[in-house]
Amino acid sequence: MITVKDLHKSFGDNEVLKGIDAKVDEQEVVCVIGPSGSGKSTFLRCLNLLEDITAGEVTIDGDVITDPKVNINEIRSQVGMVFQHFNLFPHKTVIENITLGPVKVKKISEEEAKEAALPLLDKVGLGDKADAYPDSLSGGQKQRVAIARSLAMEPKVMLFDEPTSALDPELVGDVLQVMKDLAEEGMTMVVVTHEMGFAKEVGDRVLFMDEGIVMEEGDPNQIFDDPQNPRTQEFLSKIL
Amino acid sequence: MIEYLMDSAYYKSIPYLYEGMKLTLYITIVGLFLGFILGAFAGLGRLSKYSIIRAISTVYVEVTRGTPILAQVLFIYYGLTVVNIGELTSAIIAITINAGAYIAEIVRGAVHSIDRGQHEAGRSVGLTEKQTMRYIIWPQAFKRMIPPLGNQFIISLKDTSLFSVIAVAEVLYMGKQYYNATFEIFETLIMVCVFYLIITIPTSIILRRVERKLDV
Repeated sequence: MITVKDLHKSFGDNEVLKGIDAKVDEQEVVCVIGPSGSGKSTFLRCLNLLEDITAGEVTIDGDVITDPKVNINEIRSQVGMVFQHFNLFPHKTVIENITLGPVKVKKISEEEAKEAALPLLDKVGLGDKADAYPDSLSGGQKQRVAIARSLAMEPKVMLFDEPTSALDPELVGDVLQVMKDLAEEGMTMVVVTHEMGFAKEVGDRVLFMDEGIVMEEGDPNQIFDDPQNPRTQEFLSKIL
Repeated sequence: MIEYLMDSAYYKSIPYLYEGMKLTLYITIVGLFLGFILGAFAGLGRLSKYSIIRAISTVYVEVTRGTPILAQVLFIYYGLTVVNIGELTSAIIAITINAGAYIAEIVRGAVHSIDRGQHEAGRSVGLTEKQTMRYIIWPQAFKRMIPPLGNQFIISLKDTSLFSVIAVAEVLYMGKQYYNATFEIFETLIMVCVFYLIITIPTSIILRRVERKLDV
């Protein structure tokens, strides 16, 4: 579903990604872990071109998105993104947050979009919050709305950028549960996370990133129980 | 006492000043409306990804803010005599250009203050740059523009008094005409100030309420 070849990304003189190769199969859940500053968020943001790519090639579902001729908006509409800080639109209600994309990008009618959005809200457990404004929601609820907003575009891939890092600990569970349900339904997911429990339980594969490269990748059980790379060992010994 | 007030400029200048105030408000409102359009373009222009648009906007803002409005209006009135646009049009153009530069900074600041994540969230659901600006950034930024725009209204309203130099019959000019005939300078100027305050104080009060309500 996603193929990344020799991806480089620099901010000025600072090279953040130093040649990443990765593959994500359809229906696979890949978790990206690593210390802060390792480039894992940048890597994720390159996958829907929120960062322009310095060099390398990214292919999503057969489309070479790094090709300058490609329609970037169409690509983005097929790749859902969930942010650490939710980034809900505060001037719109929950339902409007969800329907904005389908109405403006897919050009479907408001009613149709609403009809499609309500089951999504139920799915994330917020069926009663359709007309609430984001400010009245807890962090966990906001993040679940953000997930529903992405799903409304019927993406082929969902990217999660530390989706639970800004949440109070007691709110993390609900968000992870929604993500787990999604994974079980067969959504292709790339998750940058510090939730090692989630990576172990839900992830099909784990990438360990450090200093702008993928240091180690493999089955979650192997990475967590028997890491090969000394950097992986060091990182895991600090956090587990 | 009452007889004195009724017989002096405190009362008798009111009809003249009222006429002047109507013109003052007309110039201010029309000028600010046009200035907002100009300022929105210039403000967004300063955030443009094209350096030529950024440069034009920046030059406009800096030149306008860096020169006195009195010089600007004289320049427009006498400098454009080739097209002889008259004093009222000159006044409106002057307010438009002058307020436009300040409003450009208000617009730029407000748009700039919207969290980058809003833009990213808009783009990541597939909205174009324009749609993101229109449906997500602008509505939030506009809310933040309201208090400084109200402030600009008060500033521009007072700036119109400078147009008395080109004989625009705004409120200060009407006051001058009145005291030149009656020599009640002090009384007339008090009334001119009262006329300004009748507009500015309620505006401030409304603004403070709006600010509280908008929570910005």
